Parts: sequence; structure tokens; C-alpha cells
Amino acid sequence: MHNKPQVLLVDDNPADIDLTSEALSRGRFPHRVSSVPDGVEAVAFLRREGKHMNAQRPDLVILDLNLPRKNGRAVLAEVKSDPSLRRTPVVIFSTSQARPDIGRSYELGANSYVCKPGNLHEFVQAVQAISDFWLGCAALPQGEES
Amino acid sequence: MTPKANQTTASRTGLQVLLVEDTAADAELILRELRRGGFEVTGEVVQAPEAFRRRLRASVPDLVLADYNLGQWSGMEALDILREEDLDVPLILVSGALGDVAAVECIKRGATDYVLKDNLARLPISIRRALQEKGLRQGRRRAEEEVARKAAELARSNTELEQFAYVASHDLQEPLRMVAAYTQLLAERYHGKLDAQADKYIHYAVDGALRMQTLIQDLLAFSRAGRTGLKMEAADCNLLVKDALQNLIAAAREGGAIVKFRDLPVVLGNAAQLRQVFQNLIGNAIKFRGPKPPIVQITAEPIDGAWVLSVADNGIGIAAEHAESVFVVFQRLHTRTEYSGNGIGLAICKKIIERHGGRIWVESAENQGATFKFTLPAKEPALNPDAGTVGVERPDAQQTPSLVG
Amino acid sequence: MNSTELDILLVDDSQEDIDLTLHALQRENLANHIQVVRDGEEALDFIFCEGAFAKRSLDCLPRLILLDLKLPKVDGIEVLRRIKSNPHTKLVPIVILTSSKEERDLIKGYDLGANSYIQKPVDFDKFRETVKRIGLYWMLTNQRPLVHQAKGQGA
Repeated sequence: MHNKPQVLLVDDNPADIDLTSEALSRGRFPHRVSSVPDGVEAVAFLRREGKHMNAQRPDLVILDLNLPRKNGRAVLAEVKSDPSLRRTPVVIFSTSQARPDIGRSYELGANSYVCKPGNLHEFVQAVQAISDFWLGCAALPQGEES
Repeated sequence: MTPKANQTTASRTGLQVLLVEDTAADAELILRELRRGGFEVTGEVVQAPEAFRRRLRASVPDLVLADYNLGQWSGMEALDILREEDLDVPLILVSGALGDVAAVECIKRGATDYVLKDNLARLPISIRRALQEKGLRQGRRRAEEEVARKAAELARSNTELEQFAYVASHDLQEPLRMVAAYTQLLAERYHGKLDAQADKYIHYAVDGALRMQTLIQDLLAFSRAGRTGLKMEAADCNLLVKDALQNLIAAAREGGAIVKFRDLPVVLGNAAQLRQVFQNLIGNAIKFRGPKPPIVQITAEPIDGAWVLSVADNGIGIAAEHAESVFVVFQRLHTRTEYSGNGIGLAICKKIIERHGGRIWVESAENQGATFKFTLPAKEPALNPDAGTVGVERPDAQQTPSLVG
Repeated sequence: MNSTELDILLVDDSQEDIDLTLHALQRENLANHIQVVRDGEEALDFIFCEGAFAKRSLDCLPRLILLDLKLPKVDGIEVLRRIKSNPHTKLVPIVILTSSKEERDLIKGYDLGANSYIQKPVDFDKFRETVKRIGLYWMLTNQRPLVHQAKGQGA
């Protein structure tokens, strides 16, 4: 593991982006955070296209489902069916607790699904749990093509 | 020209009559009698069933006068045709000698009246009475349609309200989450850095936001509990309890709770809602604990084709005089500083159980724990508790009592 | 109709690692029911209810599979491939827990659909800590893909 892992947050709610970044930074593990506000930019960032052509390839994606332009499910489908992108772990982070949303996300290849709690304290705990595991414990397929 | 048979009473003018008569002279006589009786009559005469049907379809008369004996067919068959065409047109038999028995038969079969050909003077009176009765019938039918329409409107309006309550509480959650989270962040970041007033204001804002959050969640759960048209199917209570416990893991660990259950039955109901009931009851048992770590026992007893499920705890109990009011929505027995919650959990349980056709109540005394009991229909209606597990699916024999914490 | 739920299937051929893992998980009360198998063939038999495990119900899938890669008889990558390509079993979360430090294994694992990949720490305490974090995340934080396989039961 050479560089600090790059985390891509995909969420249309800037307040949640702030909260998540804040909570990640309270964790013990060094990392870098980028964020995009919708599904189209998420895919562009992952493919390093357009305005994201100099983007650092993310090692972990934290993806909301409810996004404008292209929703989380579509992003998931696209990423997980692309051989050059599918190895990147994607954690769905959504307020939805609906079984169909959860099931469908896994079917489309989500590595993990975490519910966004409504309560600040629990929200921070959830993000820290994500950080503890994915940044503190898991081996991530780091960015560059092999 | 002729409207459908919606004219309530024939005015002294305009009476459309369809005569089923094979003797032209008799037809003439009848029409003359009607005019003499004060009707401005327009009459058509038919002789055969096909012609009768065709005329009916062309325009519906106010009245049918039929001879009993028409050679190949009978005036009573005209009645059958009216029925087939689904028309509410009075049919009066105008006939030669009929005999009492036959006459009564005709009335029984639906002829409005019969008049003998040698007593045609009776005809106008008979007609007037027939038309009056029809008027009354139509009036009543319209009233019934009105009631049905109002009921449908009410049902629709109720559904709209339910949907509104659901959507409103659902959509309110997101902005509320923002307010709650960021007021709390403000509290954390600036506590002690502004002045004491600011700390207090922020604290009140946080408190209010958090209360709103739980309130909205409760309203959401309550509106879900009231939804109609839910899928009812076989629900294994063991799995429902396990699911409920999954959602209560944090609270259970915190309280050091132990939840015991074994061999609970399969019932008929909506799985998600019944899980909610177990979750609320077990959650309460853990929340309202006494000085000892909470122990919750869930058992079931068959009774008369149904089940009585009990959730018993060793907590602070409920005084007898409050046993009813705990199920009232927003009714709380303690202050917010003593115990959290909005007082809606039990109201939700009650709503759900009652939707399932059951009953819920509590047996308790202060400081002596509480046992919440509720009834639910068995999966198979005719359950004989003595005859073994007829039609009731039991979980694997390996199932051991599950413990949490 | 649902049998006792299986929390974790642990696939590892090292008794030492198995003991450590079980100990770490049970200490945190993270899993009630853990099944251990010691080679790839046993793992597949277990999941697909064949061989020694023919009497098992296909509906009874574990909530999590901890999978080592270097296994006798059938290796971990093959086990991963088989489970993730079968529609009935592909949603079961699989976390690879291996001593392999090969980049190639890491990439292959994720490419084949492993939910996550962990390199076993050499240090005893770190190993325990890692297993604890795995348990906490996959048993508590993560939402499970499948609930009650038996018909008629939903979440």
C-alpha cells in the first residue's frame, strides 16, 4: 500500500458530503476524499473523462442511491459491468432501508450496503465503521490498471 | 324520441305503451279505454316476440300491456324478455278469463297486475298505480346509488389522507435529518466558544430537532400500521422475533437484555407489521427495565383456532389504572427525562393487532413487570391444540432458546 | 420451514488461524453459529448441499463466508468463482481472508466478485483485531442482501 487511499463520495446533498468527510477524518486512517454530486460525474470521475481527466483513481467508492441525472443503481450497473472498473469496492450509503433497494444493489454488484442513520451520532458511527473496515482493515485494489 | 325509462310518473299527457296483442280490435279497445281514462297515449302493437324485442330496443315504453294468450306464445314470456333486456317496465296482463290460480301465478312471476278484457274500466287505475310504484322504486334506487357514491368518495378520501400522512412523514425526514445533524454539529463545534446564551439556544434547537425526528418516525410507523390492503400470509413468529431482535441489538446490549423464546407458532398476518409489534413490545420491555437486567419471555398459547402471544418482562410494570391508557396514541406515563419516546409504540401495536382481527392488552402491576398479550388468527383456521401440529409448521427441532446479549 | 440460521462459514485449512478466528468472533458475541470447513471441496459441498452435506437445505445460506485462498483440493479462487457465478448463492457476502500478499490474488478476488479482501496480519493481536473488525462490520454495520430464504417470509 503506497499512497493514501482515495475515497470517492457520490452524493447530491452537500451537507451529507460534508458530514461524511468530517466523519471520515475523525477516523484513524489516512485517506484522501473527492466528491461528485451526481451519477454522470461519478462515472466520468471513475473513467477519468472530461473535467475529471486528472482525477486520482478511487480505491473506494461510497455511493448514495438517490442521485440526479443518473441514479446510484445505474452507476453501480455501469461500473460493475466494466472489467476495468468492477474491481473497485463500492459501498452503498443510503437512507433507504427498503428491502428492494438493498437487494437490487447487491444484485448489481455492490460490495456492501450501509444505511445512513437519521441521527448524527449514529451517522458518524456508521461512517467510522466504514472507515475502520475499508480503510483500516481491507486490502484495496489500488487505483492503477495492472 | 322516447327517452329511456327514466320518467318517474307519466304525466297526464304522454304515455308510451307497447301492446302485445294479436287481435287488432282488442288493441283498439284498450287504447280507447286509456284515452277515456285521461291518458294521452301513444301505442305500438306487436304480436311476436322478435318484434317485441326489437321495439323495446328501439325505444323503451313506459308500460307494456300484454295478452295472456297469444297463440304461439304467452304474455308471460314478454315478461321474461323484459327481464332479459334488463328493463324495469311495468307489465300489465290484459286478458280474457284467466282463473284465480293462473292470475296469482302471473303476479308472483312478476306481472304488475292483470285486468280482464271485459272489465277494461279498471285499466287506467291499474296503470296509475303501476307507474306510481315504479316511481317509488326509481327514487329508492337513486338514493341507494347516492349512498354508494358517497361511501366510495369517503373511502377514496381516506386513502388520500393515509397516503398524505405517509408521504408527508416520509418526505419530512430528509430535511429534518439535516437540521438535527447540523444543529448537533454546531453544538459540538461551538460549545463554550460563543456565550452561555448561544449554548442554550443551540441546545434547545438540537432538542427540538431530535424530538421532531422521533415524532416523524413514529407518525410514519403509525400511518403504515393503518394501511389497508396489506398482504396476509403465513408468518413464522420465531423469524419475526429474530428480525425484531436484529433491529434491537444495540438497545439489548446496552441493557444487558436476555430474550427467550421457543417454538412460537406460525400465524396468519402481515409479516412486516407483526415484526413491528414484536419489536415495539420487546423494545419497551428493554427500555422500561427495573434495577435488574431485563429478561423478556415470549410464549404462545393456542385458544379456539387462534393464538395468544405473550411478551413478559421483569421491568417497572404498569399500574392497573393505566392499563388501558397506555395504548392511547401519544399517551405517556413518564416524563421525557425519565424515559424517551413519544408514546406511540403501543398505539401502533394496537392498530396493527386490531387490523389483524385480534385484541391486545396488558397484565401488570407496578414494579412487578408487565405481560403484554395479543391474539392472532392461526395459519390454519381449524386448529385443534390437542391433535398435534395439524397444519401448523414448526421450526426445526434443533431450535434452542435464543439469547441475546 | 427455515432451519437455524447460519451466521458464518469459515473456510480455512490452518487450525491455528481457525482457532484464533473463532475465538475473536465469539469473544465479541458477533456470531452464534459458525461452521468451519477445511478445504475448497468441503466448502462447495457445504454451500451446494452435496457430498457429506447432502442433507443440508439449499435455502440455508450463511450470512458471511470467510474464505482463505490457499486451500487443499479446490483453491479459494475456484470456490469464489463457483459461488459468485451461481444465481442462488451469488449474493452471499464473501470476504477473502488470506495470508497471500500477491497483488494478483487481490485483483482476481475483487474481479471475481469478492465483497472484500483482507490480508491476514502476522501479529497475533492485530489478527484478532482484524477479525473483530470484520465481524463488527459484516454482522452489524452491513445490511444483508438476503433475508429468510424460506418462501413467504419477507423482511
